[in-house]
Amino acid sequence: MTRKNDIFVPEGYFQQLEQRLQSLPQREVKPTVIQRVSPWLAYAASLAVLVGLANFIFGRSAATEEDNTWDYVSYLSQSLDPDGQIELVETADLTDEEIRSFLIASNISVEQLALLDYEEDY
Amino acid sequence: MESPEQVFNGIVKEYSERLYWHVRRMVGSHEDADDLLQDIFLKIWTALPSFRGEAQLYTWVWRIATNESLNWLRREKLRAALHFASADDLVVRRIEADPYFNGTAAQRELAKAVARLPEKQRQVFIMRWWDELSYEQISAITGTSVGALKASYHIAQEKLKLNLSESEVSK
Repeated sequence: MTRKNDIFVPEGYFQQLEQRLQSLPQREVKPTVIQRVSPWLAYAASLAVLVGLANFIFGRSAATEEDNTWDYVSYLSQSLDPDGQIELVETADLTDEEIRSFLIASNISVEQLALLDYEEDY
Repeated sequence: MESPEQVFNGIVKEYSERLYWHVRRMVGSHEDADDLLQDIFLKIWTALPSFRGEAQLYTWVWRIATNESLNWLRREKLRAALHFASADDLVVRRIEADPYFNGTAAQRELAKAVARLPEKQRQVFIMRWWDELSYEQISAITGTSVGALKASYHIAQEKLKLNLSESEVSK
């Protein structure tokens, strides 16, 4: 079996590709929304882990799920936004596609996602 | 002394075609390879000021390309999982529907079988079989030892033999 020549490109593709790639430095590279918020997301995730650990260690697991959720939200919002300037987003308003796009752009792996799902169940 | 734009243009001239074929094998379709290649060169451009010359330019450029290709495959895997599908099947379907393929049926079966390999084995196989890089070159790019690469390539070959003979039997 020959290794090459089984795939090809449209005619003149490589000349056009070279020109297109060489024009990249002229474009202004703007950070994406995810790149801008990712340090904050990492910060929030670390806090969530710490709060979760504290809850676990100090035996707060007896509280209801609703109470725990409220604790997380109020603690995180106070830590991240002491002046209350950020409006909380209702997740119910997000479509499945928006959630998928966010997860894909966040570079979370399937394994991490499965772990989150597991943690949610137990 | 060359300006950063001149250095970048030199990299484009030297590597764009070669990297295109590598990326195309990794992602399975011309359109996705075209998009990903643009992202790779954008990354090369933004990272160029941090290139210190400790690694060879060749190794550095290839490393960015292979890392970005693996990241692309991982994002595809996640995208597929969120749609309850298999990322490998998506790549296989792209190979089946690829209008820029003019090989034999056996070559198409090989491309599909390679798409079903685990990502690292797929990467090593593509770099050895199609890109014709030496183990030493692959080792410098991926940071994996030559021994581990040889083992990966051997396992990949065995899996491909098995998959191809199974698909032959099922016809």
